[in-house]
Amino acid sequence: MSIKGAGLRIAVAAGMHAGGDSHRSPIRVPYWLLSPSLIPLTVVVFIPMAFAFYISLTGLNQNTIGDWTHAPFVGLKHYVDGLDPRGPLAPSFYSSIKASVVFSVATTLFILPIGVGAALLLNGHLRGRTFLRAVMLLPYIIPTFVNGILWRLVFMTNTGIADQIQAALHLGPRDTFWLIGPRSLWALIVADVWASWPFIYLMALAALQTIPADVYDAARIDGATTFRTFRRITLPLITPTLGLGIALSTINHFNNFALPYVMFGPTPPDEVNVMPLNIYVNSFITFNLGLGAAMSVVALVIMLAPAVIYLRAARIGDAD
Amino acid sequence: MALAIHTRLRQADPRGWWRYAVALLYLVFVLAPFGYMALVALQSDAAAGEGDLLLAQPHWDNFTRIWQAVDLGLYLRNSLIVATSTGAISSLLALGAAYVVARFRFPFRNLFRISLLATQTVPGILLLLPLFVIYIIIQHSIELRIVGTYWGLVLTYMTFALPFAIWLLSVYVKSLPVELEEQAMVDGANRFQVIRHVTLPLAVPGLVVTFVFSFLLAWNDILFASVLTSPETKTLGPGLQYYVSDSFSIPFWNLLMAASLVVAVPAMILFLIVQRYIVAGLAAGSIKG
Repeated sequence: MSIKGAGLRIAVAAGMHAGGDSHRSPIRVPYWLLSPSLIPLTVVVFIPMAFAFYISLTGLNQNTIGDWTHAPFVGLKHYVDGLDPRGPLAPSFYSSIKASVVFSVATTLFILPIGVGAALLLNGHLRGRTFLRAVMLLPYIIPTFVNGILWRLVFMTNTGIADQIQAALHLGPRDTFWLIGPRSLWALIVADVWASWPFIYLMALAALQTIPADVYDAARIDGATTFRTFRRITLPLITPTLGLGIALSTINHFNNFALPYVMFGPTPPDEVNVMPLNIYVNSFITFNLGLGAAMSVVALVIMLAPAVIYLRAARIGDAD
Repeated sequence: MALAIHTRLRQADPRGWWRYAVALLYLVFVLAPFGYMALVALQSDAAAGEGDLLLAQPHWDNFTRIWQAVDLGLYLRNSLIVATSTGAISSLLALGAAYVVARFRFPFRNLFRISLLATQTVPGILLLLPLFVIYIIIQHSIELRIVGTYWGLVLTYMTFALPFAIWLLSVYVKSLPVELEEQAMVDGANRFQVIRHVTLPLAVPGLVVTFVFSFLLAWNDILFASVLTSPETKTLGPGLQYYVSDSFSIPFWNLLMAASLVVAVPAMILFLIVQRYIVAGLAAGSIKG
């Protein structure tokens, strides 16, 4: 929902340590300053969320949308159709859930070492550090749809650079299909790893910068090796922030619609038919709005675990 | 302390080379795809279609041809209008809300702050559908067009940008000395004048960050734009996507890459400009802990 979520995450990382005294006057609260934000939030976010739950219980489609109050109430029908293993939509439901879980867990696992490695490197003394720190952010900033177009080209059969490199190194034939069939999952993972690792890098770098230099100096004087210093000092100190980063990254990848949509279009291979894509097709192409809403509620429930981790982590030191 | 510095200097040199080697690896990893983009963007139609990896002759005219091949001028204009309005409006509204959150206690204050965080975990696709239905309902009940207009898009993006902007600015406002505001109140200023003349000027660095993040949220979106725009208000995301997946023509990859570069560059420049503010904000946050 946010720009790949960068903003709030960074603010949260900062807020985690912000705590401190707050100054508040006991006088009249100027609600007129709050309502210009509160009203749109209610209309555009809070009410639609509640409405999504209601729609998921109805048979809303293109025929009933003009007169939505008369859309037939079908109860849990969509949930049963999708989640009951014998239900008519279970194969599509479960294959999408699997695709989404595999995709978000795999990308998070890959970007973790890449991001932490870059943060460790650029937290130390290095000539050209300012330049490198800026360049590392570039993949994260380009619009996701541009990223999708780019990797679609990279993985084109025959003419894409992926097939050409593969053929030149004798790793596989030049006419390998990456955008259809089982390899599409790898194409999607590679594209997303490249675009999203700077998020972990930003979080790790922010955490590393809070560690005072004398801690390292003390360790060095005591004769600790680089590896030992990392394992015993650095890692424990950045773990809370990294935990926040991992939870957010998982949620972010799980909710990513733009990248698979641009890379594979509205009729993707099963391996990459992630939940946001499936929901989009059900809602806006076949116009089965009730079913689409039920699927997005399921997606929200699956993401509850990382969301709770995120909310708890974000509220550390924020007890006022 | 002197000993520590000495130790660090002595150890830095022999270990230096592999750090630069790793830095080089990262640099190649990050820049190679951009190089590939630039290469294809400068190729002839035939070379790009066959997937040549060589550049016989740079075709700079691709960067002029794209304006005819895709209606890039229109998309760019629409995206600029929508993103700039989103950035400005959400930053200003958020400052007001952030001021209240930072300086006052009110019922459900904590619930409000938690809900700001919680909204960030909600998949956009969950909101798109009911939001679309709600907009349609409003359109049917009062004669007010929302879907397909600039302001409908701005309202949507602006609201999605608010939680982050409020959160960041409330941390920021809290770090400003309250004495200045109290002094202005004593001198007879009302609440609006205090915010306008005391808080706002001091909060400019924070406002720059929220402007850029809100701008980028609108600039980078494809999901909401694909449903809420009309042919006249189509923005860059759905505009380019339509060109890619248009089944009647095989895309000219060279033109598409040239267009992609044109689209990506404004976002990159904006972010690099405010990068120092973000790092500074992080540093300020951590010092106070």
